[in-house]
Order: sequence, then structure tokens, then C-alpha cells
Amino acid sequence: MSFSRRNFLIATGVAAGASTVLSACSSGDAGGSGANKAPSVDKAKAATIAVGTKADSTGAAPEVPGAVKGGTIYTLDQIDWDHLDPAQLYSSYEGACSVLFLRGLTGYKVDSKGTTTLVGDLATDAGTATDGGKTWAFTLKDNVKWEDGADVTIEDVRWTFERLFASFVTQGPRYPQGWLIGGDKYKGPYEGKHLDSIEVSGKTITFKLKEAHADFNFMLAMRGYSIVPKKHDTKEKYDKRPFSCGPYKIDSRSIGKGATLVRNTHWVAETDPLRNAYPDKFVFQFGFQSLASTDRYIADQGNDQFTLSLLNEVAAERIQKVMTDPALKKRVLTQVDTTCYYFAINTKRVTDVKVRQALNWAWPAQQLKQIRGGALSTATATTIISPLTPGHKDFDLYGKKTKPTGDPTKAKALLKEAGKEGQRVVIAMQQSDNSVKQAVAIKSALTKAGFTPVLKQVDKTSFYSQIGQLDNEYDMFAAGWGPDWPAGYAVIYPCFDGSQIADGGVNWPQLNDTSVNKAIATATAETDPDKAAKLWGDIDEQIMRLAAVVPDYNPIRNYFHGSKVGGVVYDSGNTCIALGKVFAAK
Amino acid sequence: MTPPTPSAAAPLEVTEESAEKSITSPSPKANESRSPGQLAWRRFKRDRTGVISAGIVIFFFVIAIAAPLIAKLYGKDPYTTYGQDIPGLLNDFAYPVKPNGGISSEFWFGIEPQLGRDVFTFLLYGIRTSLLLATAATVLTTLLGVVIGVTAGYLGGKTDYLIGRVIDILLSFPSTLFFIAFMPVVYNLFVPFDEDVPVWLRATCLILALTAFGWASIARLLRGQVLGLREREFVEAAKVTGASPARIIFKELLPNLWTPILIQSTLMLPAYVTAEAGLAFLGVGIIDPTPDWGVMIQRGAQFYSDDITFMIFPGVSMILFVLAFNLLGDSVRDALDPKSKR
Repeated sequence: MSFSRRNFLIATGVAAGASTVLSACSSGDAGGSGANKAPSVDKAKAATIAVGTKADSTGAAPEVPGAVKGGTIYTLDQIDWDHLDPAQLYSSYEGACSVLFLRGLTGYKVDSKGTTTLVGDLATDAGTATDGGKTWAFTLKDNVKWEDGADVTIEDVRWTFERLFASFVTQGPRYPQGWLIGGDKYKGPYEGKHLDSIEVSGKTITFKLKEAHADFNFMLAMRGYSIVPKKHDTKEKYDKRPFSCGPYKIDSRSIGKGATLVRNTHWVAETDPLRNAYPDKFVFQFGFQSLASTDRYIADQGNDQFTLSLLNEVAAERIQKVMTDPALKKRVLTQVDTTCYYFAINTKRVTDVKVRQALNWAWPAQQLKQIRGGALSTATATTIISPLTPGHKDFDLYGKKTKPTGDPTKAKALLKEAGKEGQRVVIAMQQSDNSVKQAVAIKSALTKAGFTPVLKQVDKTSFYSQIGQLDNEYDMFAAGWGPDWPAGYAVIYPCFDGSQIADGGVNWPQLNDTSVNKAIATATAETDPDKAAKLWGDIDEQIMRLAAVVPDYNPIRNYFHGSKVGGVVYDSGNTCIALGKVFAAK
Repeated sequence: MTPPTPSAAAPLEVTEESAEKSITSPSPKANESRSPGQLAWRRFKRDRTGVISAGIVIFFFVIAIAAPLIAKLYGKDPYTTYGQDIPGLLNDFAYPVKPNGGISSEFWFGIEPQLGRDVFTFLLYGIRTSLLLATAATVLTTLLGVVIGVTAGYLGGKTDYLIGRVIDILLSFPSTLFFIAFMPVVYNLFVPFDEDVPVWLRATCLILALTAFGWASIARLLRGQVLGLREREFVEAAKVTGASPARIIFKELLPNLWTPILIQSTLMLPAYVTAEAGLAFLGVGIIDPTPDWGVMIQRGAQFYSDDITFMIFPGVSMILFVLAFNLLGDSVRDALDPKSKR
């Protein structure tokens, strides 16, 4: 089990219910410009994440072989963090970085081989469920402290969950808001009222849910449920400077440029099973495109030897060079991802289903795949649920496999039928050098099919905040979704259920179709996992018939790092590099 | 009051030239029949570097103007993504399958990695775009610079002071930064949300911005020249005989300024070609899919480690053009103002 989260287009995220490490085998001489074969990617196999015991949940974290303490680790990434307030934090990139200073009740423990286990982080274990999964209890560990030396109290924990209901919280994951009893009426703790379904006694907190949720403890391991101190809660402002109870604290931050983390001296290693915290300092550097970071890793000079990227991957232009050179490939962490990137179609603006279907028919899947670096970095998607996620059903409604470069004739015919020839489509893309080229391919393909495409490059940092607005002016946008845990529910429900339409929500197509809503309700109620999986697959197809999105690709991540970065392992729970395990080699 | 050498008032070229002429051509008849322009032309023809450079520059302008014709004969266009439409041209990493960037009898200069466009026509059209922008900007800059510079120099006083300060500000202004920051604002103002920024608007903005920051140096230079000239006797004589300021500027001053104007503008054009390419490289000038020299070089920089061929064509052609144009500028100066040679 795992959950990933909303991913940025070139962002991280992996594993369909699965830490799927895949072997990329290089075929022959792919060097130079003469070769035409890419290394193939084996079919990734899924592995579930086990729930650890109380012993697993005690610190300190197991030593990483060969690790040394001290030194500085640097990062090179494209964008700054949009949100650091846990309640607002949903992207896996922000989650990957904030592991160093945010701690939740539960978390994922990663061993040096990459095996991931769910354990208690601030809680003594991964939680106790009673009442068939309707009541969950967690006990806080002793000796866990904030960066000012004060204890983390059970009141802080209660405060954290109650403030999720406050009106300024619009961006983060929204599971407890819907799951907790009385959550629909509660308005947050700032007016002095507590939520009755969260009870505290001694060092124990108890959550009472409307329905049984066996995954509740997995859900809490999302970085979005990290604990916030009641005393230092600055509401909206907390987003810029969160208070740390992890091994590092934010020393300085320059928006858009970088941040420096130094040790939090009050952190006690024995209370923390997840983080080894070897380096003395982390220096985050923002504003570097993938190509720039890739070239710096290839050169491997100076501080770049101690550098890794959490969002940037091997640039498409360098995939051939890096993946066919064994010396460079050694420094690449390759992972398949459960995320599906799609172009969500705003169904409030593009109301005609035929037009939406025409967009699907016209889609230049093959061209985009090549621009992204070919088969080693992406696999063409035809469904919303990734092939690695339970509930996947293999179908291809719009001939993507038979005509990978798009079928303009069919699209044109559909447009004509709808009487919408020359239909204008405003498409928002996440700005990057590569997406500028993708825009060329999309524009040319859609123009051929009789559309009038207008492509807008939108700043990546605030992209999701912009397209999450219900009254946004885009017809289509490049979004991506990784399930928060491996199940059809986690893919379909947040993104396509009519009840999830909200400002800052993730039902980007704003789809509110009665039959889909009904089918989702039926599938949610289904307790047999196999039957449920089949139902989710059918819903996937149903949504695709309505053409609410154009599925684009399932990513294969290639994370590149400097030669002196050790302990780079993948956290398949949070679908990112486990930054707490990294060390600076001598 | 009267200076001892009245001949100094006459245009420099004539005095200089008549002296030189008398040595090279003994026939007094030929000497008399040549205008300063003809003399300069003769001097230019003798300068081999200049002639070759001129040939190269003319070649570039011809292929730029004739780009659509050449593309038609060659049978390709710069917008079609051949590599993606025709299987077998790009490998799985989206690099050209054939060696040397995919050069073949079909694609003379190879194909672009990833998007698979034809390099030859893309380069032709890119040169066309760049030269068009640079030429337009040069003409505008020169016009503006001449008008403002001559006005400031001739009128002097408060006007001169005011214009002088404006020039100071413009010369110290970080124009590239301004351009990067200001362009998106302009586009947002003039283009409705659901429209692409039209190419003509981008081009106009580029030309205007290059002009706005370019006229200051030429204006300052001309102002200095005019300040020197207006105290001369021939200007004073014109004033005394009651000539209007317009006549003095156009008939008395301007003919003496053609040399610096011509030299400045021939040096300005290649500078604009590189400036335009630089802005395109930074992503604020002309952008895809409009073919542009700078865009090509930007792409080339991304692919050079795996496909150097793609960088060579736009890179070498731009070096060639800028070098030739600069040498041409030098030769023109030498021909018009032979004193500077020594």
C-alpha cells in the first residue's frame, strides 16, 4: 500500500501500490546518433507496504551501510515549494523535501534496499483500529520536541487535525474532512470549538469515523497530516515558515531561489525511526531546469558531487547520453510510477462530449512521448487508472495504440458532427523548456484536426493553484494524479466525483455526471477487493467515454545525482527519494 | 576671427580625396569628374576583404528574401515535423537515426532532434526572421538617432541638456532585464486571454524595444559632430544669408554626417542580429514555432552533446554573417573616411 499524491508534471512519484524498481537493460550500442533502439523497461511488479510493529516504530533509524555523518547535501530543482503548511501541502515534491522538518503520526520507514514499511513516527506505533476500522487510536511518543525545545503535546496533535477544517485551508488532501463524524459542520478550532469526533486523553488521541477505513493510518502518513504546534500556528502565514519537530529546521529561505536547513538541536534521534539525518546541513537550490541539472551531474564538479534532485529528472535531451553510459547510469535511480498524467478537459467550458472525444482522437501521443525522451521515460496511457494500480482495465477507446500519432480525420469528422469546426481550445501547460516543444506538437496535431489551439505556459509553482480555481479560463490543462494509496478509489473518487468539485479541489474536469457519481458510490461500498477493482475499471471506461480527460502518459522516473551522494533510496510510500536517509560521502 | 584654413569647412572626403587623387591619377579631367561617392566606391572596390564580406552579406540577404522560393523548390517547409510524421527518421530517444544529425539527400542539413523539423528550411526562415527584425530595428534606430542627435546638437541649450540626460538614462539602463520583465506585461495588456500572442506583435515589440534602447548611442555621437560643425563658417554663412534651420540641418549639416551614420548603422545591424538571437535564446523574443536563428541556437545548445550537427549550421552561419557584416562595416568606414585608416 502506498500513497502518492498530486504530482507536478516533471515531478516525482512512483509505485503503484508498489515499490517497483525496474531494471532498464541497455540494448546494444545506443550511443551516438546512429542507434534507434532504446533500452527497454521491464514490466514493474508490485509489492505491498507492510504495517510495522511497535518495535519498528522506535528509533533510532537503522544505519545506512557506509554512511558518514556531517557535510552538506545540495539539491538542484526547477521550482520553489508552493506550500509548507502541512494542511496545504499535497505535492510529492514538497513532501519529499519537508520530511526533514515535518513529522506526522505515522510515516514510512525505508531500509537501505528500498523496502518500505508503515510505522509510527510521532506515534508509538502505526495505530490501533477498533470497531471494525471506524475508530482509530494513536499514542504520542515521549521526548519529542519542537525546535524551541518545547514538548510536542497531544493538544498540538488535536489542533493539527482540527485546523484542517479552517476556511483558509484550500489546497491539501481532504480525506479527514469527509471521514470524521461531524466534519461537514465543523469550522475549525479558531473560534474555540473542538471537534467531538477527535478525543484526547493522556497521550492518546482517538479518531471516530463515519465509515470504516482500514487505510486510515496510511492516509495519516501523508506529509499533509504533519503536526502543527498550537502555540506557533500563524494560520495563513504558517505556509511560509513552518515550525520544525524533525532533525532540521529552516535557517533561511529566499522565495524562488533557495533555502538552507540546519540541525534542530532539540531533535532526539532515538524517537525517530525514519530519519538518519547524516548531513549537518541541506542547501536547497531552485530555478534550475532539468537540462541544466543533468549537465551539472554529468560534469560532476565541486559541490555538485554532493547534489541530488527531488523533482528534476534526467533531461529528455540527455536520456540517450546518460542511460547508455554505464558510469553515468550508475548514478541514476530509475522507478516506474503509478501516476497518470492527463490533460483534464474543463467540462464546464467544453460542454460538448463530441468535442472532447475529438480532442482524444487528435492527440499526438507518440510525438509527445518522443519529445519527453522516448520509451525510457514515459509509457503512453490510454486509461486513467495506471496499469500498476489495482482496478486497471485495459481498454483503448480512442485508438491510441493503433494510431499513436493521432487520427485527425476521425477528430475532424466528430467536430463537424458537433458543428464546432475551428473550436478554440485554451490549453494550460506547466512551463518548462520541454513543454514549449510539446506545445508545438500539440498545436500542430490539433490544428490538423480542425481545432484552434491556444497554448499557454503557466508558471509551475502556482500551476495547480491556478487550475484548481473553478472559474479558471482554461479549456484544458496538463495535470497528473498519483493515487494516495493503491486502489481505484484513490484515483477516481477525488478527481471525478461530483461532490469533490471545489475551489482548490482536484476534480479538475469539474465532472459531475449522475451515472458516474452513482457508480462511484456503488464501487466505494463494495467490500470485496476483486469485485471493487472490476467496478473501478468500468468507471474508468465510463469516464473515458465522456472524455473528461485525455490520458497522456505514465511516467518512468530517472533521478540523477552527484557521485558523492550516498544512501539514495526510494520511499515508495511517499513516492519520492527518502531524503532522511541521504548522506554526503567523504 | 577668420581661421587661417578656410578649406576645413568643406567636407573632409573631398579635400582628402583630391589630394590622393592627384597622385594616383595624373589626368586632371578624371579628377574633376568624380564625386566623393564615386571616389569612396573606388576605394571600396580595391578593398578585397570588404568586397568578399559584401558578397557574403548580400548572399545572406538574398537567401533570406528568397526563402519561400528556395523552400518551394526544395519541397519542404519549416513547420512540418517530418521526423515525427515519417517513421524511421528519429530513434527511440528522438535523435536522428542517420549519422551527422540525419543529413541525407532528402534533408540536406539533417533534421531537428525531438520535433523532427527540417533544419535547412528552418534555418532559411530563421535567417529571414532575424534579418527582417534587425534591418527594421536598424532603420528605425538610425532615423530616430539622427533626428534627435542633430536636433540636440543644433538647438543646444535646454533641449540639449534634456536630451542629454535622457540619453544618459537609456545608456545606463539594463535593457535585456527590462525586456524580460516588461514583455509579458505588454502581451497581457494587448492580447485577450484566449488568444495566442500574434507573431506580428512579438516582432513589433522586439523592434520597438531594440529601437528604444538603441538610438541613444548614435544620437549622442551625432550631437557631438553637430556641435563641432555648427560653429563652422559655412554654417554661419548660411545663417547670415537667412537660411532656415531646416535648410541648415538638411543641406549644410547632414551631408557632413553621412559617414558616421553609415558606419554606425552597418555596425548596428549585426549587433541587432545577435541581440535578437540572444533574446530568443532567453525565451522572450520570437518563440516556437516561428523559425528564428536564436531559437535554433538555443535548441542546438540543448542537443550539442549528442547531435553537434544541429548546432553547427545555425551557429556557423551566424558567425559568418556577423563577422562578414562587421568587416563590411570596417571597409565602408575606410572607404568613406580614409583618414581613419592611418
